[in-house]
Amino acid sequence: MNAVNSAILDPDIGWAILAGFSVLWVFLGWYWGRSAGQLDEYVLAGRRVGLALGTATAMATWVTSNTTMAAPQLAFQIGIWGMLGYSLGSIGLLMFAPLATRIRRLMPNGYTSGDFVRIRYGHTAWRVFLAISLFYSLGWLVSMGMAGGILIHALTGIPYHYGMTVILGICVGYTLLGGFRAVIGTDFIQALLILVGLIVIAFLAIQHIGFARIHAAVLAERPELLNLLMPAAIMFLFNNLLFGIGEIFHSNVWWSRAFSFREGVGFKAYTLAGLLWAPIPVVAGFVALAVPALNLNVPAADMVGPMVTAKLLGATGAVVVLIMVFSALSSSLDSLLAATSILIVEDIYRRHLKPHASAEEMRRAAAWIIVGLGVLTWILCAPRLTTLAELLYFTGAFVASTIWPIAAGLFWQRTNAAAAVAGMVLGSAAGLYSYFAIGFYVAALVGAAVSMTCVVLGTWLAPREFDWNLLREEHPLHKGVLP
Amino acid sequence: MTISLTAFSVLVTVALAITTAAPVLLIALLIRDWKRKRLW
Repeated sequence: MNAVNSAILDPDIGWAILAGFSVLWVFLGWYWGRSAGQLDEYVLAGRRVGLALGTATAMATWVTSNTTMAAPQLAFQIGIWGMLGYSLGSIGLLMFAPLATRIRRLMPNGYTSGDFVRIRYGHTAWRVFLAISLFYSLGWLVSMGMAGGILIHALTGIPYHYGMTVILGICVGYTLLGGFRAVIGTDFIQALLILVGLIVIAFLAIQHIGFARIHAAVLAERPELLNLLMPAAIMFLFNNLLFGIGEIFHSNVWWSRAFSFREGVGFKAYTLAGLLWAPIPVVAGFVALAVPALNLNVPAADMVGPMVTAKLLGATGAVVVLIMVFSALSSSLDSLLAATSILIVEDIYRRHLKPHASAEEMRRAAAWIIVGLGVLTWILCAPRLTTLAELLYFTGAFVASTIWPIAAGLFWQRTNAAAAVAGMVLGSAAGLYSYFAIGFYVAALVGAAVSMTCVVLGTWLAPREFDWNLLREEHPLHKGVLP
Repeated sequence: MTISLTAFSVLVTVALAITTAAPVLLIALLIRDWKRKRLW
């Protein structure tokens, strides 16, 4: 049975939904982008983002297609701990809350996480960090692009290449037109769409089947899913926790939000986003546990969420899932395009290639890089290599090795720069080794542990004073000439 | 050790209650920020 025959939704309806939302996002991108002519407006929404939009953008960006599709899959495969383990992803958002306040206070003129590492630890650490950060960004972009093509194909039968091209093209289009303002504005609407879709599906599952029937059916057919002492699941839980913290601590996706939030908003926005995000994987996972009660035959575990929804709601359910998936993909892809673009503009284009670039040149370069990233992602997604989709999991060791250099660099005055470099390099190497020697579920754990040992030991043995005022470095573009 | 029906129901109900409150809270905050001209 091919995917077109097994698709839940008619391709014409799929195309109509994609077209409708694409027009809406591009229109909003154009509308919000009208006042984003200057660099700070385009890349950081003028650094005045309030609590509502700040909370929604942090939340929507962290709800990727993985949250809506993989959380049910994990619940279906490893049960209760799969749901709870996934919801621990919120710890990264919660822990970043105090960092966001500190970042905004220490670097009122900052643009990127690269700016911080360069000033705090010097050029060697900066280049190692950039390599990790860009590798991770590319991994995330490719995994989202491929997920877009695969999920749209599975839900509607629309060919993989068409679906992948549409999702990438639309995200590039509205991010290009409206910059960070378009990203944040659409994230708010996308967050609401995801939440409402999930609430409708969960309420229907409770109303149509009920807790007692779901619990009894799982207990009869898959009792291991309700087991609270499942060792592999507990290991997954800790690895997922560290992977999530590493992703958030280092990535410019989260730093650019910290720079863009109005003074005093960062802590509240990240805390609230973490608290509101935490229950989402539990609710999404619960839907998957309805499978035994519904007597569903699930051919592929990653389609468990849409299948339960379609069973409960018919074609309407499939429409709800498509809108949720499209929103989840767009809210992450746009953020990644915008944040990676400014990272490349500031840390590579201006700091390595064109030190005297004007604000207008940087604004233009940011737009071109958004297009370039879209094209590169499309090229890498086109062959549909599953090994590339797994690239993101592969980056776990790398991102986890940045947790300690970032956190210690922000809060400890005496953190040793060489120890930070050693932490990132040795942590990544050890994590990578454990990935192949033991398994994916320990890579982040080992990477973070080795990096912590390097940073703590190096700083304890050879502490180095750092002047926090250096981080207030005035950006050349802010010296009264251009905004 | 299996999770009981009560614990399972409470876990999902609490998670669903927070998820249901989230869009209401976000819209309320949006209106508040908009009134104070602190949207962005």
